[in-house]
Amino acid sequence: MKKHNVWLSVDFLLKAAILFAFIFPFLWMISTSLQTFQETLSVPPTLIPSSPQWINFVEAMTSGPFATYAKNSIIITLSIIIIQFLVMIPAAYAFAKYEFFGKNVLFALVLIAFMMPGQVTFIPIYLMMADWGLIKTLIPQILPFMSNAFGIFLLRQYFMQIPEEIIEAARLDNASEFKIMWKIMTPMAKPALATIALFSFVSHWNDYFWPLVMTDSNEVRPLTLGIAMLKQSEGISNWHIIMAGNVVLVIPILIVYLLCSKQIVKAFVYSGIK
Amino acid sequence: MASIEFVNVTKEFEKKDIIKDLNLTIKDGTFTVLVGPSGCGKTTLLRMIAGIGPQSSGAVLINGDDVTAVAPGKRGVAMVFQNYAIYPTMSVRENIEFGLKNNKVKKEERNQLVESISAAVGLTDYLDRKPSTLSGGQRQRVALARAMVKEPSVFLMDEPLSNLDAKLRAQMRLDLIELHKKLGTTFVYVTHDQVEAMSMADTIVLMNNGLIQQEAAPEEIYHEPNNLFVAQFIGTPPMNIGELGVDGVKFGFRPESAQTSDTPVDEYLSMEGEIATREMLGSETLYQMKYKDSAFMLKSNYAFYKVNQKIHIGVPEDKIYLFDSEGTRIRKDHERYSSYLEVLRGY
Repeated sequence: MKKHNVWLSVDFLLKAAILFAFIFPFLWMISTSLQTFQETLSVPPTLIPSSPQWINFVEAMTSGPFATYAKNSIIITLSIIIIQFLVMIPAAYAFAKYEFFGKNVLFALVLIAFMMPGQVTFIPIYLMMADWGLIKTLIPQILPFMSNAFGIFLLRQYFMQIPEEIIEAARLDNASEFKIMWKIMTPMAKPALATIALFSFVSHWNDYFWPLVMTDSNEVRPLTLGIAMLKQSEGISNWHIIMAGNVVLVIPILIVYLLCSKQIVKAFVYSGIK
Repeated sequence: MASIEFVNVTKEFEKKDIIKDLNLTIKDGTFTVLVGPSGCGKTTLLRMIAGIGPQSSGAVLINGDDVTAVAPGKRGVAMVFQNYAIYPTMSVRENIEFGLKNNKVKKEERNQLVESISAAVGLTDYLDRKPSTLSGGQRQRVALARAMVKEPSVFLMDEPLSNLDAKLRAQMRLDLIELHKKLGTTFVYVTHDQVEAMSMADTIVLMNNGLIQQEAAPEEIYHEPNNLFVAQFIGTPPMNIGELGVDGVKFGFRPESAQTSDTPVDEYLSMEGEIATREMLGSETLYQMKYKDSAFMLKSNYAFYKVNQKIHIGVPEDKIYLFDSEGTRIRKDHERYSSYLEVLRGY
């Protein structure tokens, strides 16, 4: 009995340690965002601000064209997700349920695309976009991501688990292939779609490298770049302002996660109706 | 209402012939059961009628028209699948009316049809429920309602009762027989369970290895099997088979054809053996009798024989079946019928 208790305590301590390691940076970010400039520089560091400086948030949002950055971030991220869904669902359905010439080769290409880092392709893509005169638009930040290889892969696996009979029943019900895909397969894959949407949202909302390369003016820059520029706007780093900006940047991700978390758990334990 | 015809139908799968040159006519309005062991090609035939697993060559005719190029949804057939294949994200109502919507049936008519069909199968209270909240029997009814609502001319059923428990299965068997009587449409039903086949069919088509072994009414297939396979597939327990010892000929008799007694029985074939096992089933008892190197199953109304007890049995001449070395039935008009039968005297 005693031994059992010891293990329970060890188990608890380990979990607490892991939780702390993950949550501490967030807590520090929030704490810093509410501190004064002096507090951010004090040694030892302040953990709890003496009086919360809500003004930091106002300052972060007024120090540049914040509304434009936010608007760009929203347009870019949502466009990417919508276009990805339009491309990904038919592709995954075809890979999962159709037999056609070159299917395996094409799927191998998708997997290769999945493994290709963006750092390999950014120069040719930049040159191409510049050639087409698109650098002053949002298109270079959207177009290269219209196909999501990871999404096609995940969704294909999910579609493959759906019994063939359901599709056959729909064919006997005189449903078109298009209807089968949108009215039967897509709703059944909701958990997988939510997972893909969340991953895609997080990676594009937080993306720093790609917009840094693909933009040369504030009109087309997203929030990540805007917040990074808070750092450069004056000689010294205003950590309290930067962190306030970061808090604003992170909030949408938390909201999306809370909305999707139930579906994401489902995506990994799917069993279907037997 | 529709008749179905298979003309020289072949189905290849991975370069192997699952079905070879098959010809079969299913008459309009009949309840036809395709039965056979797994892998015999019965489901393959059903899928050909539905158009979801087209034949490699040959033609499938519905009402005399070649439907090879007709899409599954336009053939006027409805199918109930073994796993029901209900759309899990739709409510019961949406499941039932999905086909109607695709066929552009007006909303008022749709509602009316859904209401009347769901009442007929007892689903009225469940129309707004999701399939995941229903029991196996209720899901089965959703699948049935979905098929019925389209008023098809052919009903196809692929082992629809195999996922139900024994009691519900017996009930659904009766329901299906009644449904067939009421609708009068052609039913094609696939099962591996010969009891289901015997109890529901007008015509049984017994298949093995992609070939039709016999096509006949249940009584005929039971009493006049074409060959050894049919004799041993139909009936629980199946027909007893013994070696005659001449030309590889085999003889057989049904377990219930043997008269049992403590004293020698004066019948054409009489034997004395020892009871090896005893299964009391209620109204009747099954015994396994050891005789020389073989074992025969006996079905008796008497439950008083004990294991290891000596027992005499007798089988009348007209209950004995003979099969040649290929397994084909040797009928009375065969030239050597009487001489083979003679061997059994004093077996």
